[in-house]
Amino acid sequence: MNALAQLGAAFLGVCQPVSIAFMVAGVAIGIIFGSIPGLSASMAVALMLPLTFTMEASLGMNVLVAVYIGGISGGLISAILLNMPGTASSIATTFDGYPMAQKGEAMRALGIGIVFSFLGSLFSFFVLSFFAPMLADVALKFTPVENFGICFFALTMVAILSSGNMVKGLLAGLFGLVFCFVGMAPIDGTPRFIFGNQDLLAGFNQLTTLIGIFAVADILISAEEMNAKGVQTIPVTKVKGFGFSMKEFISWLPGALRSAVIGTGIGILPGIGGSTSGMLSYVTAKNMSKHPETFGQGEPEGIVATECANNATIGGAMIPLLVLGIPGDGVTAMMLGGFLIHGLSAGPLLFVKNADVVYGIFAACMVCDLIMLVVEWTCIKAFVQVLKVPKHILMPLILVLCAVGAYATNNRVFDVQSIIVFGIVGYIYHKFKLPTTPFVLCFLVGSMTETYLRRGIMSYKSFGAFFTHPIFDFFWFVACGVLIWSVFKEFKAAQQKKTAAKS
Amino acid sequence: MFFKKYGDFVVGIFYAILGIALIIGAKALPKSKVMEIGPDFMPTLVGVIILVLAGILLVETFSRFKANAAELEASGFKDTSDYKRVLGSLVSAIIYVNILKPVGFIVSTLVYLIIQIYILAPDNKRTKKDLIQYAIIDVVFTVVVYFLFRYGFKIVLPGGILAF
Repeated sequence: MNALAQLGAAFLGVCQPVSIAFMVAGVAIGIIFGSIPGLSASMAVALMLPLTFTMEASLGMNVLVAVYIGGISGGLISAILLNMPGTASSIATTFDGYPMAQKGEAMRALGIGIVFSFLGSLFSFFVLSFFAPMLADVALKFTPVENFGICFFALTMVAILSSGNMVKGLLAGLFGLVFCFVGMAPIDGTPRFIFGNQDLLAGFNQLTTLIGIFAVADILISAEEMNAKGVQTIPVTKVKGFGFSMKEFISWLPGALRSAVIGTGIGILPGIGGSTSGMLSYVTAKNMSKHPETFGQGEPEGIVATECANNATIGGAMIPLLVLGIPGDGVTAMMLGGFLIHGLSAGPLLFVKNADVVYGIFAACMVCDLIMLVVEWTCIKAFVQVLKVPKHILMPLILVLCAVGAYATNNRVFDVQSIIVFGIVGYIYHKFKLPTTPFVLCFLVGSMTETYLRRGIMSYKSFGAFFTHPIFDFFWFVACGVLIWSVFKEFKAAQQKKTAAKS
Repeated sequence: MFFKKYGDFVVGIFYAILGIALIIGAKALPKSKVMEIGPDFMPTLVGVIILVLAGILLVETFSRFKANAAELEASGFKDTSDYKRVLGSLVSAIIYVNILKPVGFIVSTLVYLIIQIYILAPDNKRTKKDLIQYAIIDVVFTVVVYFLFRYGFKIVLPGGILAF
C-alpha cells in the first residue's frame, strides 16, 4: 500500500501545468526523432539533456522521460506509412502495418499501433512501480549463459517464420547471420571478412541494414510497375475513434497481455533490447494464432503484438537501470547519465534513499504515456496526408530521407552506401521469393548470440557446463522442441502435398 | 520467366558457394588460444549449415523441376516487370550515395531527386508542366531537409562544394 500512496503523491507532483507543458513538448520532440530513421531516441535524449540542466531536478527528469517515451513509440508512424522503421524496435510493425496502409487502412493501423503502444508501456510501468526490486534480483541471475539461451531460442523462431517453405526461409535467415560476421569478432576483436576495407571493421549498422532491406528495396520493387499502373496514390479510409470496435479490442487483449509480458521480460535483461522483443512477440503471436497465414498480409494482431512488446520493453529496461544502475542499451545509458546529473543515485539503496524521486519518475512515465497517446492520436490525420503524395514523387523523397538518416546515425558516408547494398539484397530476395523477415531476425540477434556464447564459454570453460543453469536448460530444450516440431510439421505437409498430387 | 523457372536453382547454387566460401574464409582466421571456440567457430558452423540446406534445396528443386516447368508452361505466366525503371533507379541511387560526400548534400540531392522522380514517373506524367512541379518539390524538399538537420537536429550534412 505504501507504494500506492507514494505513487499518488508523485502524480500530484507531476501534474503541474508547467511540467505537463514541458512533457507535451518533450513527447512531441521524441516522436519526431523516433519517426525519422537515423534519428534515434538516444540522440533525442542527448540533445535534450543540456536543455534540462537549468531546470529543477524533477522537471528535468520528467522531460527526459517524455523524450524517451516519444522516441520509442514514434517509430511506428514511419513503419506503417512508409515501410521504413523509424527505430529498430518498430521493425516488426512494418510486416503488417505497411500492408494495412497499402490496403487503405492506414488510419486503422495507426490507431491500433498507438493504443497498444500505450497499453504495452502502461503495463510495464505498473510492473516497474510495484515489482521493481524483486525483478531486479531476477535480472542479476542472468549470466551470458542464460542470455545465449534466449538468443538461441529467438534464432530458432526463424523455423516457425518460414513454415511452408522452410529450406528457403532458413537459408534466407542464415544470410543475415553471415552479415553479422563482418567486422570485429566479439571478445577478441579479430577482424573478419573485411577484405581490407577499414569501414567494414565496425560491421554493418542495424538501422541502415533495416532501412535498406525495407525502404530502399521497396522503391526498386515499386519501380517495376510504376508505368503500368499509372499515377498511384494510396487510398486512406477515414475511421472513427481509433478504428476498431470494442469486440475486436477484447479479442486482441489476451495477445496484447502476452506481448506485454514478453516485452517487459526482455526489457529487464540488459543488452537484449526492444527490436528483439518486438520480433519475438510477433513470431509468438503468429505461432499461437489460429490463422498464421494472414500474418504479413495486414493482420492487426501483428501490430498489436509488436507495438505492445516494444513499448513494454521501456518499463522493463528501467528496472535494472534504476535498481541496479545497469543500462541495457544506448538510450538507457543516456537516461542514466541524465538521472545522475539531476541527483539521483541509481543502485540498490535507491528505494530507501530516493523513494520520492523514483516514484516521481514512475508517475512521469505513466503521464507521458498518456500524453503520447493523445498527441499521436490527434495527429493521425496529419500523418496520413503523406500518403496523398503520388508514389513516383514520394519514393525518391523517402530515399533521400533514408540516406540522410543513415548518415546521421554515425556521420559516415559508408552507412549511406550500405543502405543501397541492402536495398539490392532486399530486391533480389523479392525476385527469388526469399522471405526478408528471417533475414532481419537473424541479423538482429546474430552478433548477440555469438557474443554471449563466447562470453559464456569464457567464464564456464565448456559448453557442457551451460546445462547446469536451469533457465538456460528451459530455453534450450524449448528451442530444440520447437525446431524438431516445425521440421516434422513441414515434412508432413510435404508428404501430404505429394499424395495429393498423385491422386 | 527466368526467376520462376530457374530461381530456386540459382538460390541453391549461390548458397552452396557462400557456404563453401564461409568455411574457407573461417579457416584463414586465427584460432583462439585461450578458449575452446575462437572467432572461426560461428562462421564455420553457419557455413556447414548453409551448405547442407543448399544441398537439400538443390536436390528438391531438381526432383520437381520437370513437373514445375510443365506447370509454368501451362499457366502462361509472363513477366511484365519494367526493368528499365528498376535499373535506372538503382544506377542513379548508387551514383547519388557515392557523390554525396565529394559534391555535398544540397547539390547532389537537387540533381538526384529530379532525375529519380523523372525515371519513376509514368510516361504520361512527364510533360513540361509536371517537370516544373517536380523541380519545385525538389528544391523545397532539399533545402528544408538540409536546414532542418543542420539547425533543428544539429547534424551537419556533407557540405561538399557548397560549404557554408
